[in-house]
Amino acid sequence: MKKLFKLVLALAMALGLCGCSGGNSSGNSEYGCDVLNVYNWGVYIGENVISDFQNEYGVKVNYSLFDSNEAMYTKILGGSHYDVLIPSDYMIERMIGEDLLQPIDKSIVDNLDNLYEGVLNKPYDMDNTYSVPYFWGNVGIVYDKTIVSEDDVKNQEWEVLKNEKYKGQIYMYDSERDSFMVALKALGYSMNTENEDEINEAYQWLVELDNTMDPAYATDEAIDGLIYGEKAMGVMYSGDAAYILSENENMAFYAPEKSGTNYWTDAMVIPANADCPGLANEFIKFVLEYDQSYDNAYTVGYASSNAQVLNDMVAEGGDYEGNDAYIPRQQNDKDEVFHNNEPVRELISELWIKVKNS
Amino acid sequence: MKSFRRLVYPYLVWGIIFIVIPMLLIVFYAFTKDGNSVMPVKFTLDNFTRFFSDSIFVNVLIRSLKLAFITTVICIIIGYPCAYFMARLKPNSQAMMVLLVTFPMWINMLVRTYAWRGLLIESGISPEIKVYIGMIYNFLPFMVLQIYTSLSKMDKDLITAAHDLGCDNKLAFLKVTLPLSVPGIISGITLVFLPAVSSFFIPKLLGGGSYVLVGNLVENYFVTTGDWNFGSAISLIMTAVILISMYFTRKFDYSKEDR
Amino acid sequence: MKKKPFSKLYLALILLFLYLPIVYVVVFSFNESKSLTHFTGFSLRWYEKMFESQTMMDAVYYTIVIAVIATVVSTIVGTITAIGMSKSRKLIRESIVQMNNLPMLNPEIVTAIGLMLFFTALNIRLGFITLLLAHIIFCIPYVVLSIMPKLRQLDDNLAEAALDLGCTPFKALYKVIIPQILPGIVSGALIAFTMSFDDFVISYFVTGPGINNISTYVYTSVKRIDPTVNALSALIVLAITIILLIVNILPLIKERKTKRNEETI
Repeated sequence: MKKLFKLVLALAMALGLCGCSGGNSSGNSEYGCDVLNVYNWGVYIGENVISDFQNEYGVKVNYSLFDSNEAMYTKILGGSHYDVLIPSDYMIERMIGEDLLQPIDKSIVDNLDNLYEGVLNKPYDMDNTYSVPYFWGNVGIVYDKTIVSEDDVKNQEWEVLKNEKYKGQIYMYDSERDSFMVALKALGYSMNTENEDEINEAYQWLVELDNTMDPAYATDEAIDGLIYGEKAMGVMYSGDAAYILSENENMAFYAPEKSGTNYWTDAMVIPANADCPGLANEFIKFVLEYDQSYDNAYTVGYASSNAQVLNDMVAEGGDYEGNDAYIPRQQNDKDEVFHNNEPVRELISELWIKVKNS
Repeated sequence: MKSFRRLVYPYLVWGIIFIVIPMLLIVFYAFTKDGNSVMPVKFTLDNFTRFFSDSIFVNVLIRSLKLAFITTVICIIIGYPCAYFMARLKPNSQAMMVLLVTFPMWINMLVRTYAWRGLLIESGISPEIKVYIGMIYNFLPFMVLQIYTSLSKMDKDLITAAHDLGCDNKLAFLKVTLPLSVPGIISGITLVFLPAVSSFFIPKLLGGGSYVLVGNLVENYFVTTGDWNFGSAISLIMTAVILISMYFTRKFDYSKEDR
Repeated sequence: MKKKPFSKLYLALILLFLYLPIVYVVVFSFNESKSLTHFTGFSLRWYEKMFESQTMMDAVYYTIVIAVIATVVSTIVGTITAIGMSKSRKLIRESIVQMNNLPMLNPEIVTAIGLMLFFTALNIRLGFITLLLAHIIFCIPYVVLSIMPKLRQLDDNLAEAALDLGCTPFKALYKVIIPQILPGIVSGALIAFTMSFDDFVISYFVTGPGINNISTYVYTSVKRIDPTVNALSALIVLAITIILLIVNILPLIKERKTKRNEETI
């Protein structure tokens, strides 16, 4: 499909249909451009990071938002030019594979030492050639201690989602990737499996859950729902879990240890077609500084990639002192990082539709 | 009067460039498959066979049509009296009502739907009813506006004449007012039914997420899986089904006029 | 006339239904906590945040500019086209009707991707221009659809008479046809403005860096719960209230003026 698309594009250009492709206005910064196009998740940046960068570098930042990795990818495929993107691990792997990214200029981004070492050198970009981590975390179960027994959660791990004691009380994550992760992990398989039998087994697991537990499928709506105790349990990203725990002290978070979970990272990258890679590198460097990372972590509530900020957040008097969900655990062999699952993507997608229709 | 015919040509050209050509691109995708080497292009019906060979997709389509159909019918039932009463107000109040009916739509649909979610959260109403409340809420203004437009400035003499000829109120309504407002109802149906078939935010937010509709399906294949070919095929099948049903509605409409 | 109380009550109930969620949104814009379902206390913090957010203020600006231009253009083009259609042969009329239905009928994502591919294939850089074009493209059908019923009710003889009495076709159009179909034009324009104001999916895919509208902001933010969106909605409600007041007061002022004029005479 992409080839076809490129062909259409090439044809159009060959036919001289060139319209008004806007170049850069000559900029006043040392990089020859005065505009930086940043493309990030909604509600995923500190309140002052953009304005501070604009003031310090004397440039304008065009800040745009996306709501899923795939929507962002589609936009890039459609020929949009951005300078900095902040996608997730598996998407970064995919974009590297498709030559859509360019290496980080480490002579400009010279403060990588600020990074927490646990977020470096992950399989989606082994030596961080293309990406600089931004936020990270894992996925687990948020549950109401007054209703759900802690033993049940810790003994049954993901299977607790199918414990009929809690029928009608759970939020299931409304995304194919995350729910299949849960099912595959519950069954003891790799969440990156390409074995169709294992995937089908996971499908059966999810259908059973759908039939017996009467779950509500939700993504971020569940945050509010758990804070106010509308349901007793839900699959949650650790960053959101930390926020829920800080708002409702009855809530606890557990990332299954024996079965393992998804260890995710969202990282800053520079697309190959960026108009202003130099300034993009400066931006990445800027975000890695303590003040900006702190602003990000304070506003968003996810685990920072900056080691110092991370420490301060959970230290005495920090925003997340004593919060179990804030710093994701390290070094669990069962935890995995998502890979770009090209060969089985369609299969999983179709099965997910069937789960929800069963 | 025929000189006015020329007025359609600019839009015809515009439409061909901006509506038909992009649509042809979609048709092209629907009849091809990824994995083909680009040249020579191989046309295939695989996407369509895939759709019809699995009952799940057909079920999703039927469910979407049903949701849109019921929404449209209820919108007419609730909206018609509303439009009718509006048209009989003083002119100033009419203008006011038109604005009052339109303005809620200026608040983002998502925000309004979230508000309904909050309003209904402790009501104990079943998810299905919630979905209908949300759908009707979202589409009712379109229906009211269209019917009101056709009822307003209607020639009052016609009704007086009907009365003079011995019709009572009811008969005058059935014989004069209702038939004259049929074009408005048809426009209303178009404005409600067509977008309702492919809507999915409202069912998703209010129906607890366990709702797959054709809109989700297409979005899912276009964005999440990136299979534009199958996504295009689904959208094309849906378009065909609806165009056929609209064709019959319209036929009913014109049959009166062309007689 | 004895039915009047009932009709008033009915209209009141409809308005109650339409404004219930809006009141809810306004109330929650003053909520102290992030929650969209539980009110925990009064605060203005979301308003503060909204006015501080450059992204949000830019989005408001672009939304209004795009909606206004798209509405004006599509209303003019749509009116002209609808009038032309009413006099055209059935084949042309039918083809335009079907063509018009396409953008309404297709799931938005299909129109969106189709247009995105189209613009990119022409090497037009995605941005303000493409966003505006797209909005005009999907607004025109709504205008045409709103005007068509009015044209059907129109008595052809009126325009013929105008021509017989020596009007140029343009004058006949301006003096006779337009006033007759005005309610259709107004509702078409209102719907066009609404559609443009509220559109997310198409805008999302045809816009470029830095050109966002309110919907893009809302859509990407509301999922992570951002009550500034409620504050923004409340602001729109305020704007609406002001418009309503003006619409209500304007005729009164006019009336008084004419009265005064009469008195002076």
